[in-house]
Amino acid sequence: MDYLNHNLESLQRTCSALAAAVKDASGGVLMLKESREGSVSAMCEGQWIHSAYDPCKEAKVWAEAQLREWQAGELAVVLGVGLLYHVEALAAVKPAGSRLAVVIPDVPILKDALRARPMGAWLNAVEWIWGTAPGMAEQLVSHSAALRVLTYAPAARLHAEVHRELEEWLRRSVAKRQGGQLHVAVVGPIYGGSLPIAKYVVTALEALGHRVSWIDHSLHRASYDAFGAYRDMRHRQAMQSRFAEVLSLSTITHLSEDPPDLVLAIAQAPLTLAVLEHLRKKKFLTAMWFVENYRHLTYWQQLAAGYDYWFVIQQAECHEAFKRAGARSVGYLPMAADPAVHRPLTLTDAERTEYGADLSFVGAGYPNRRALLPRWLSKDWSFKLWGNEWEGAADLAPVLQRSGARIDTEACMKVFNASAINLNLHSCGGDALDPQADFVNPRTFELAACGAFQVTDERALLPELFTDEEIVRFRRTEDVPALIRMWLDDPSGRRTVAEAARQRVLRQHTYGHRMKELLAAIGLRQPDRIGAILRGDRNAGALAVRAESAPEFSAMLRRFPSGQRVELKDVAADIRANGVGRALEREELLILLLDSYRAETRDLV
Amino acid sequence: MRHSLIVQLARLGDLLQTLPAITAIKSADPSLTLDLLCPAPLSPIGRMLPGITRVLEWDGLAWRQHGQEAGAGLHQEHLRDAERRISELSSERYDCAYVLNQHPRALLAGALLAREMKGPRLRGPLGEQLAPWASYVRDIAAIRRGCRVHLADAFCGLCGVYPPGKPVTISRSPLPLPPDLEPIAMQGGPWIGVIVGAGADERLVPIEVWRRWILEFMATAPAGRVVLVGQERERARYIQDQLPSSILGRLWDATGRTSLPELAEILGRCHAVIGADTGPLHLAAAVGTRVIGWYFARARVHETGPYGTDHLVWQAYNSEEGAASGQFGVQPTSWPVRETIDAVLTGRMQGLEGWSVWVGQCDRWGAYYGEAGRHPAPPREREDLWRELQPLQG
Repeated sequence: MDYLNHNLESLQRTCSALAAAVKDASGGVLMLKESREGSVSAMCEGQWIHSAYDPCKEAKVWAEAQLREWQAGELAVVLGVGLLYHVEALAAVKPAGSRLAVVIPDVPILKDALRARPMGAWLNAVEWIWGTAPGMAEQLVSHSAALRVLTYAPAARLHAEVHRELEEWLRRSVAKRQGGQLHVAVVGPIYGGSLPIAKYVVTALEALGHRVSWIDHSLHRASYDAFGAYRDMRHRQAMQSRFAEVLSLSTITHLSEDPPDLVLAIAQAPLTLAVLEHLRKKKFLTAMWFVENYRHLTYWQQLAAGYDYWFVIQQAECHEAFKRAGARSVGYLPMAADPAVHRPLTLTDAERTEYGADLSFVGAGYPNRRALLPRWLSKDWSFKLWGNEWEGAADLAPVLQRSGARIDTEACMKVFNASAINLNLHSCGGDALDPQADFVNPRTFELAACGAFQVTDERALLPELFTDEEIVRFRRTEDVPALIRMWLDDPSGRRTVAEAARQRVLRQHTYGHRMKELLAAIGLRQPDRIGAILRGDRNAGALAVRAESAPEFSAMLRRFPSGQRVELKDVAADIRANGVGRALEREELLILLLDSYRAETRDLV
Repeated sequence: MRHSLIVQLARLGDLLQTLPAITAIKSADPSLTLDLLCPAPLSPIGRMLPGITRVLEWDGLAWRQHGQEAGAGLHQEHLRDAERRISELSSERYDCAYVLNQHPRALLAGALLAREMKGPRLRGPLGEQLAPWASYVRDIAAIRRGCRVHLADAFCGLCGVYPPGKPVTISRSPLPLPPDLEPIAMQGGPWIGVIVGAGADERLVPIEVWRRWILEFMATAPAGRVVLVGQERERARYIQDQLPSSILGRLWDATGRTSLPELAEILGRCHAVIGADTGPLHLAAAVGTRVIGWYFARARVHETGPYGTDHLVWQAYNSEEGAASGQFGVQPTSWPVRETIDAVLTGRMQGLEGWSVWVGQCDRWGAYYGEAGRHPAPPREREDLWRELQPLQG
């Protein structure tokens, strides 16, 4: 029977361009097989796309499981095409007022589906999303509805790369449209390299208009160090570990007193797995930005299952490793810069003399730096080495500044600004370049944001962040001296490259950009919570419009500025502030009643 | 005909302490239809209260869930749902709600369900100013001021009525018990109900003390029987551990497996009930059984002693300061085991270092406790207080 033409006729009515593309496509991606029950099923690359026994029954079970997440009014976006059994089942159970879209990453596969079996009237109730990843992302976000991505894994795995790219573009598109105000609790570390990053994150979120509760554990640094003073290592570890547990509990206490929409931990934040599990039970959303090399610091293995969302600075293998350890969701979020801190400076002559050099390096004395930097000393250029942990590096002693004392961020910025060339060598344990050179360190972004010229070792993830015209990179250590010579002789070229890098940071690589991307990623997976807030659905104006059929409630909402996020507790507080001494409206009493129960819901401690 | 509603959303003990107020309100206006709003799990007891026509069940769990959802993202549907829940309780508003709790949600429920409200706040749910009786109750709770007006009588004051002047019991029609509990109090005796738990940890009588009480009681009264009651099945099991097997045939464990009406039935069958200041203790008093209370921690006989006559309360006090100082927030180190067994079996009342003994009485100003062995003159400060706080009707 000629199902294809019949189905194409149907498709033609709602999406003629796609119907034409299907007609021209070759098909033959799926291998059709008869299921035990008699209906057609399919295989691809040796794996079943639908059940070998009963594809309809399997699809129905899958669709019913999706209903646990899919809320009324949301646009469901189905990833995975196959023979569309699952889409048909989903169309049959979709909530009232909801819509259904199917992503077509590859037109020939749709041809296989339309050729394999008769589709019903439901085909016309589906919105077909096809084309390039950015185009599909734009199509999806142009709908005003919340998006709920539903993945039919057996079919979706065939186009994992397209889906990843689509999600990335969706994230960007959603990030651009963010308008609501979240309350984010940022949990920082006690000390270490991630501490300044936590501060940049706080600043960025506040600049985006979100309310931030900064849970700053660096206040407890002195006590933590004191517990590290015991002679016996077991005592030190036991005390510091217990202390971290206490700080974890103090975080919970803080969260219970002022519950946020999202708990965002930065690497090394003292949150234990038990506390994270407790937070999940209490329906807190948690995310961790792990701004570390996952190969070197491995404590994430114990915490992987604890956070709802992980964001990491590495890709592929890293994501797989996290998922194997139990992480539910892992996303790529590279480092960034804070242009308010990492900025071009006008230096005095004295500062230029103190901080300037032909070549500078700022950083700690990791083994590969100890081995490589001496090779780049030369009488042809001046070299200044800044930073700590250089004890015993005799070759470098003549160029080591301030006897190897740690320098603060302000001094660091002066070095970057005053140096003709800033070397940026990613750390590793060997005596050569990092053999697993994937992530890009914060220094790369910070130097670029300063408008400082840098020469950096090549990283697998660098090209998608900066072009060759923006950052000069080397792949072999022996190429470095020639690069130094060349760029020292070209001050104008250095300025051009550095300025291009700075502009790239300002366009795409600030902590503000990263926070937008992070929130967009979570918003896409939580369209009814974080997503709704980011879209501004919880703003007074939007709520009041939706409440027009309830004039008293609408009037309560209109007492707030239209763009202000309004929650139950805000409306209740407003009633308490303005309701004393007068008879309360019935709606006001109901609001206060609901709020009295809301206030009980986060009794964490 | 006026329709009124009593709002009592606290726990079992408070619900039973509401009984005198219900009686007094009905006495003041016999034509009044009086309904009760109470937590859904307590509704079977609510239905046993004389004077109550209908019981409205407050589903706190559902409201909590609803409040949590509204807190996560407020929509007008939340208000519609809330209105529906209120309407399901009562399709028409009451003429008056007597609200007996200071918690905002009781006040709000009262304001939603009735046109007029009598209760702890003078100017509606948001009013700061407390009614005189509410101030009195708050001061008692907050600053532990000496008190001789019973909480149940203060509830009467909150409702604008005077105490009924006599103990009131709840109407209990015989109820079949589970087969293994049916023989309770059918033969032998005396049968003593022992309440093994308490709502708060600081009010728990130690397991070892209960074990000692049971052993001594059974040794002294060869025909005596003990019924363990309450929700705390684990505690009951620990109490029974290490008791000699020879007495186990005289010990009945009803913990954790009876409905509230069944519990009332068991307590009603017992000759006496002993325990700390708990809901079941007040339930025993309400079904007319003689009660022996061990009041310690923050429990104080003059505020929440079992309502009625002839109930006995051993009140722990800080012996360094003496009984008269009224500082009762203490954890006893010794317990009146022998003394209360004597009281049960012989009626003899004797104190013990750190404990004083009080006997329940009742007069026109409500319930009061007089110290055992002294002349049972009612304390005068109650009358003064009623005249001060409720002068118009005094």
